[in-house]
Amino acid sequence: MVDRDLEAQVDRLSRKRARMLPILAIVFLSQQITYFSTLNTPGPHAAEKLKISAWLVLSVILLAGLATKGFWFQPKAVRDMLDDENTRANRLIATRAGFLASMTAAILVYIDTMFDTVGGREAVHFIMSVGIAVALISWGVLEKRAHQDG
Amino acid sequence: MAERLANRLKERRAELGLTQAELAAEVGVTRKTVNTVENGVFTPSATLAIKLAQSLNVPVEQLFWIEK
Repeated sequence: MVDRDLEAQVDRLSRKRARMLPILAIVFLSQQITYFSTLNTPGPHAAEKLKISAWLVLSVILLAGLATKGFWFQPKAVRDMLDDENTRANRLIATRAGFLASMTAAILVYIDTMFDTVGGREAVHFIMSVGIAVALISWGVLEKRAHQDG
Repeated sequence: MAERLANRLKERRAELGLTQAELAAEVGVTRKTVNTVENGVFTPSATLAIKLAQSLNVPVEQLFWIEK
């Protein structure tokens, strides 16, 4: 079925996604810098909980974006076309890169525990953050490259 | 020796006077997927290769071939 309006809308959203992915990764990483730089600073208990909850919510949203078609508020036809063959391939490569980065982070944390005390929460936070950020950046790079005219 | 899937998608599309966006809409994929297939960046599935060939009215083996 030929639907040029749908294709034009999908192309616009796809370009937007390619632009947004690295920005999201930067926002996500800057949040982690704030978290780790104020780690041992005594502060109000509620503020600490709020900070962790915000990170958790953002992480779950980003993971859901990586694991699903994303664009949850768009019609099904738009979402299906946005998750076409090339996008799925790029998403898989990015997810793989994220997984490998997470495993590398886990190994580094494991080594660190031989010399230092590492809290469980901090370890999980670090491993997840590295994996999500790497996956977002690599997906963004792949999508941007795919949009470049050859 | 490395093998790659070469194609004459761009030439055939130009012969028919179609844009990437028009071909993408015809096949039901994004313009960037057509772009990456044309540039050899992305190897399409058999399903997509057949759909592209049907849309461009050529046998699939005339549109895609293995280059060594």
